[in-house]
Amino acid sequence: MNVSGRYDLVVIGGGSAGCVVAARASEDPAKRVLLVEAGPDPRPTPDVIADPKRQGEVILQSPFVRLYEVERPDGSTFPLISGRVMGGGSSVNNMSVIRPIRRDFDAWSRFGGPAWSYDALLPLMRAIEDDPDFGDQPLHGRGGPLRLHRSWKLDDPADPPARALIAAAADFGLPRCDDLNVPEPFGVCASPYSQVDGRRQSVADAYLEIARNRPNLTILSDATATRLDIAGGRVRGVELATPDGPSTAGADQVVVAAGTYHSPQLLMLSGIGPAGPIEAVGLRVAHQLDGVGENFQDHAVVYITFQGTTELREDYLIPKVRLIAKSRPDLEYGDLHVFMRPSIRVAGIPPLLPVSIHLLDVRSRGRLWLTSADPFDLPAVDPAILRHPDDVRAMLDAMDFVTRLTAHPKLAEFYGPLISPESPDGWEEHVTSSYITYNHAVGTCRMGSADDPLAVVDPELRVHGLDNLWIADASVLPVIPHATTNLAAILVGEVAARNIARA
Amino acid sequence: MKLAGRIEIAAPARDVWDLMIDPVSLAACVPGVQHVARVDDRTFKGTISAAVGPMEGQFEFASTIVSSEYPTDLQVETLGTDSVTRSQLQANVQAWLEPLDPGRTALAYRATVNVNGRLAIVGEMILRATAGVMIGELVKCLRARLEAGAGGRPAAADVAAGPPG
Ligand SMILES: Cc1cc2nc3c(=O)[nH]c(=O)nc-3n(C[C@H](O)[C@H](O)[C@H](O)COP(=O)(O)OP(=O)(O)OC[C@H]3O[C@@H](n4cnc5c(N)ncnc54)[C@H](O)[C@@H]3O)c2cc1C
Repeated sequence: MNVSGRYDLVVIGGGSAGCVVAARASEDPAKRVLLVEAGPDPRPTPDVIADPKRQGEVILQSPFVRLYEVERPDGSTFPLISGRVMGGGSSVNNMSVIRPIRRDFDAWSRFGGPAWSYDALLPLMRAIEDDPDFGDQPLHGRGGPLRLHRSWKLDDPADPPARALIAAAADFGLPRCDDLNVPEPFGVCASPYSQVDGRRQSVADAYLEIARNRPNLTILSDATATRLDIAGGRVRGVELATPDGPSTAGADQVVVAAGTYHSPQLLMLSGIGPAGPIEAVGLRVAHQLDGVGENFQDHAVVYITFQGTTELREDYLIPKVRLIAKSRPDLEYGDLHVFMRPSIRVAGIPPLLPVSIHLLDVRSRGRLWLTSADPFDLPAVDPAILRHPDDVRAMLDAMDFVTRLTAHPKLAEFYGPLISPESPDGWEEHVTSSYITYNHAVGTCRMGSADDPLAVVDPELRVHGLDNLWIADASVLPVIPHATTNLAAILVGEVAARNIARA
Repeated sequence: MKLAGRIEIAAPARDVWDLMIDPVSLAACVPGVQHVARVDDRTFKGTISAAVGPMEGQFEFASTIVSSEYPTDLQVETLGTDSVTRSQLQANVQAWLEPLDPGRTALAYRATVNVNGRLAIVGEMILRATAGVMIGELVKCLRARLEAGAGGRPAAADVAAGPPG
């Protein structure tokens, strides 16, 4: 496909936010829009992506993810993950649809002003949603592109362990929370997922599908933006590596939506960013912005495992119950997601019952940098998970809470002694040497005002100092939300589309 | 990932040692192991099946005794591959004995387990707990054999549980 030529808008990255921007911008038939995605755009959607039962396979076996190996302080390694296929993260993620909480909007407003407040963005959040359960209520929406599906609600029949959990949680002051997409969610929640008729609804399905036939929208998959050509404070064109060879797309406006890992990479490859990391790989600085690649945040996850008194074969709680809890009773908001996981079964040993603890407060800040000037090399990441001592402390408090919860007589029927970590003196070592992440990376091109030295985009999401360059993805979020991040990325896409249309 | 433990056994140190350095008796004490085959004097291989929720997989592994200095240094290296993601697991177990009195011995061990590849995404959730329990069961099994006066030799049938793999 020949894409060289001029577009009104080039969107780089067909992920959660990029699909939204391309779909919204092409609603105006007078606008020529090009959407470039590095991964494939397989149609019909492969079953491994569409079938929620094959979620494990998407992550563990499919070619639709990128893995970024990172190291823990003890030298052990694990991969961070992103999607590399049309739909980006939304095509490989666990499909939870959870709004940022009010506190997150308050934090974003401190960087982006009143346009980022809860009340200012509520109309957009409602417009995104199609919530069959709560859509008629003032906080919610009906008829938007993104369906919220609750396969199970709190009054539906549940297996004995799920019932025991709900009962035990009530004794711990955790109320029932039928709708977790409220400003202050807390308690035992029924989890909504982006699914339609039992199949994944990625953002490509929700937003791009109806836009695909528009004559003013060109979709180019398996094509990587390798560099932005900038001159005179503007982007003149986008250099692309396409299946047919290199090409350049000219653009009036350029939106980088390549995600938290690749938006800062593309900026730095184009000479936009901090001088040190750019020059270290032999490139020249074209536009110095020290915040590019800084401020990386992701949620820490720690598994603790109990001896099970019985084998729990069912996938009984993963898709259903989510505990939103507090690591300390005096906190004003839930800082934890807790999941009771299905049992691990190995012949010859008793069943093991893991519980995963997901810490939503992130005080540590990591960073990301180029490993080479080759756009196909992955950037390096120091995620700094649990580097802040207060994050470790919160995780230890959370473990204390979970072990007290599972010792509740109703749950003790299923949960035996804690075996990993085995003894209380080993808890901190367990935390710092076994954490993984919730796969919610944000922050590497964060927004902020012009006098903020680490701000990359302004509150409108335009790159500081470059007139026609925008960033629209989770990388602009200055603070990670107390929620999963897909909805936040979609919201950023909606905000960017609105601002670009007004510009 | 690091694991450690210590167990006291009512048997003389020499008997404990003899049992530990015999791959056949070691293999027989690994919980859930199948298709065990002795490769040579120092190495055995086998398969362990594991399931987490809807995911099921097999671990094919080979364990080799890489050093044995009575009574303070026994090292066993294990290399495994999982059938689902073809990720590699590497485990190094170090064990040593403290003779307590003529009929009693303490067996202490330290293990490091590393996973490379996609399995590390779920690795911590599955492996840390499982590896800890398995090593714990293994040493308990060794103790049971010794204290039952099995003479340090499991019955051959225990090892030939499955076809060689
Ligand atoms: C395994 C996993 C599970 C998750 N589970 C959940 C969940 O249950 N609920 C939830 O809310 N969130 C979840 N998330 C997080 C959520 O999916 C992401 O936060 C969200 O998708 C990020 O959207 P984005 O638009 O910022 O970036 P992405 O969706 O990552 O999009 C970036 C896109 O840009 C493309 N790209 C990159 N570089 C280039 C380039 N140079 N040229 C062209 N294209 C490029 C990429 O291939 C990708 O498609 C999960 C994420 C993962 C990885």
